Amino acid sequence: MNARKLRVISAAVLCAIFFVGLFAGAVSPYPYAKQFRERPNATPSSLHLLGTDSLGRDLFARLIYGTRVSLLLAPAAALLATLLAGIFGGFAGLAGGWSEKLILAATDLSMALPLLFVLLALRALLPLNISPILSVTITFTMLGLLGWPSSLRVVWAATKNLRNSDFLLLARATGCSRWRVIVRHLLPNLRPVLFAQFWISIPVFVLTEATLSMLGLGVIEPLPSWGNLLRGLEDISAVSANPWRLTPLVLLILVVICFQFILPSQEEIA
Amino acid sequence: MLVVVCLLGGLLGASLVRFSPGYGVDELELDFRLSRASVEAIRNSRHLNDGLLSYYGHYLVGAVHGDLGSSQWLQRPISSLIKERFPVTARSVLTGVSEAWFVALALAIAGVFFRGLYIDISTTLITGVFIALPAAVVAIFAVYLRAPVSGAIAVVIFPKLFRYLRNLLNHAYSQPYILAARARGISPAKILLRHILPLASPALFALLGVSLAVAFGAAIPIEALCDSPGVGQLAWQAALNRDLPLIMNLTLLVTLITVAANMLANIAQERAL
Repeated sequence: MNARKLRVISAAVLCAIFFVGLFAGAVSPYPYAKQFRERPNATPSSLHLLGTDSLGRDLFARLIYGTRVSLLLAPAAALLATLLAGIFGGFAGLAGGWSEKLILAATDLSMALPLLFVLLALRALLPLNISPILSVTITFTMLGLLGWPSSLRVVWAATKNLRNSDFLLLARATGCSRWRVIVRHLLPNLRPVLFAQFWISIPVFVLTEATLSMLGLGVIEPLPSWGNLLRGLEDISAVSANPWRLTPLVLLILVVICFQFILPSQEEIA
Repeated sequence: MLVVVCLLGGLLGASLVRFSPGYGVDELELDFRLSRASVEAIRNSRHLNDGLLSYYGHYLVGAVHGDLGSSQWLQRPISSLIKERFPVTARSVLTGVSEAWFVALALAIAGVFFRGLYIDISTTLITGVFIALPAAVVAIFAVYLRAPVSGAIAVVIFPKLFRYLRNLLNHAYSQPYILAARARGISPAKILLRHILPLASPALFALLGVSLAVAFGAAIPIEALCDSPGVGQLAWQAALNRDLPLIMNLTLLVTLITVAANMLANIAQERAL
């Protein structure tokens, strides 16, 4: 009962943040790149709710627009990763034989590669001086394309279990076509697993994007994202002068914790 | 297995380097005093016109002889860069991983044996907040607090480690034979050492390998922001300067270490059983 209440609260908080991000244009008082050159590093006031950054840009506006970038694109990347994991994991579990071995070997290989190193290497392959929009697209596409291995293992194990289950045997014995078996019998049973993997991936991607952008290899200025905004923490004197600069970090922690609460626990998945 | 991973990973790396935009472009070729023939001679001497397989072959032959090629950005042999930088990272990663394991294991054991709501809630809250911190933010706080790099690495891997360990130990502790052992009045220490840890040991060994991989990943932002001259920082600078041979070699090196750690864990696991 208690866990249920917690989950509802977390979902409500996430929805609220998500909608503020979605309608950033309506909520935000200023455009995210607008400079108030006469007021750099301002402390919070009625004009600037969270103050301004060193370039005189309104932090509240940047935070809202950054929320939009991070909270809309991380789920998109998670969807891509889950889709890849679902297709290949499901195929490996169903097909068996050498294709299963091949896919699992590729998964093991990818899991052995440290994600951040591979992200850096891939990022280095692409040109560095690209437009901000392109940098966002590249960052989250890379996350989606590289974030599937652990999900694939889970999907594969679940599919393998289902394949050996009695009801699929019955379905096959009564002459169900292959597609009907997949669409009507397999997918509904895989749905909770896929959903769980999708939800698990989102906070991971949000955090990875933050680290990449803080290293200057993710989303490029002037477009804000949570990682970009956290870069402002590097300047300790500015943070101590205006502690409200920590708001992006607090928001990030809040969101990731909410995601942890709404995740179905292991027992419920099984 | 190790060899296959290396060869495949190397091939992947080599093909990425070989076909990346800007591959083989050299300022030397822009020198108008050089004739077309000399430019061609330079390119041939560096095997720039070779196909992928022959390029990879040259790389492999070099690697066996300890020559990993040279960094485009620093104009230095990669092997000497690694020799210089790797011990720094190895030291902080090993210290960080052992610190995190020590704290996580101690807390998880305490949580299992002194089943108090207080311990449970406080550790859940703390790990919940820690898990939500990006590694780069941990690095910034480490700079603020003048904490060592190894401490920051420990903070990054501790929450993940602790959650896994706690689930593992809780699961082991709830087995019926543990209840039987407790009913017979066997001391908690003996239950832990004789009944719980042996049961959990395969997963513990596997976790050791994984935590090493995570620690090397975390070393990139932490070393970059804490200005610690290790391979993590080198990889970051290589990415910023688009020095592909360097970053490919570093990725291979770290992959090699994590795969080797996982294999050692597997072997230890088989011995233990």
